Amino acid sequence: MEVCTKCANPKIIIKRKQSGQALCKNCFIENIQKKAIKTIKKENLIDKGDKILVALSGGKDSVATLDILNTFKERNIIDLCAVTVDEGIANYREDGIAIARKHTKRLGIEHKVVSFKDSFDTDLDEIMKVPNHRISCSYCGVFRRWIINRAARDFEADKIATGHNLDDEVQAILMNYLEGNIDNLKVIGAKTQSKSPLFRSKIKPLREIPEKEIGLYTIAKDLEIHLAGCPYAQKSFRGEISEIIKNLSKNHPTIMYSTLRGFDKIKIGLKKEYSNDFQFDSCIKCGEPSSNEICRVCTFLDELGKKVAIE
Amino acid sequence: MNFTLIFKNNKEVKSLANDNTSIKDILHDMDLSSETVVAKKNGEIVVEDEKIQDGDEIQLIQIIYGG
Repeated sequence: MEVCTKCANPKIIIKRKQSGQALCKNCFIENIQKKAIKTIKKENLIDKGDKILVALSGGKDSVATLDILNTFKERNIIDLCAVTVDEGIANYREDGIAIARKHTKRLGIEHKVVSFKDSFDTDLDEIMKVPNHRISCSYCGVFRRWIINRAARDFEADKIATGHNLDDEVQAILMNYLEGNIDNLKVIGAKTQSKSPLFRSKIKPLREIPEKEIGLYTIAKDLEIHLAGCPYAQKSFRGEISEIIKNLSKNHPTIMYSTLRGFDKIKIGLKKEYSNDFQFDSCIKCGEPSSNEICRVCTFLDELGKKVAIE
Repeated sequence: MNFTLIFKNNKEVKSLANDNTSIKDILHDMDLSSETVVAKKNGEIVVEDEKIQDGDEIQLIQIIYGG
């Protein structure tokens, strides 16, 4: 019978194909926390005194991010706050919001919920009824980033922490490589910093942990998480890439790690070779930082006959 | 020989084909990938090689959704 590689407990909850390691519940929880802390230290994601905004959907990745960063808050290294975006998806988002509220209340963390409806006078359910709408994820990604960045400024947060995991990062690397999108490749990393003072830097403490292990971590720790698929999820290029990586990983269990490690080395050269003096300007409609006269949020809202509804 | 299967708010009693049935076999029958599911046996997290015995309660928690 296989036992925990670290403490010989016979009750193992994971067998890692990539390393041959078997771990019991306690050793696994400790191992995941150590991995995230290692990323935080290696990449200098946190400075003492930082106020960090967690983008908290209530799903496994953001709940795990909050849980791990809270260990730094408990030691008075950082302060935490959280924002949950309500896209307006009936019978779906309500559960995530309720779970996010429970966690922030339990941990005593400032939290606010910001809706698409309040921000843009429309929501995703309405948008999906508009003829010739774009795919749902396009609106969601662009609108959410806008709301989260503004929330960070409202909270006077120094950084935004997201729950991006190893699978997310490797998917982004492959997608952008295959599309030849060097500008996007340059900004993939543990910490993204913008030249615009209106953008807060984003940190990804879980980027070296596989998605499955983050899910296992939340269940092992009995953390309540929102377990449901978005009703608007559809076949996307990211989904196709995800399938390819999952299939490759069956016989090559270290492939996600090697892709990430290799990319992190290549990125240094990429940034040097493709640097530019590009400066962000402000969107003439909403005032948020934008590389064009009109930002993507306002472009999408124009198409929908809407505009930003808050000051 | 039976076991109880809990999956997505459904709870049903299923018959066990033989003594050697594992979580992995159940996942295979349900066309689920072990990469997207966490399994519990009688309330405790187990690995996919775990064997199922008569009277066990198996809960499958889907943690990764496609899209």
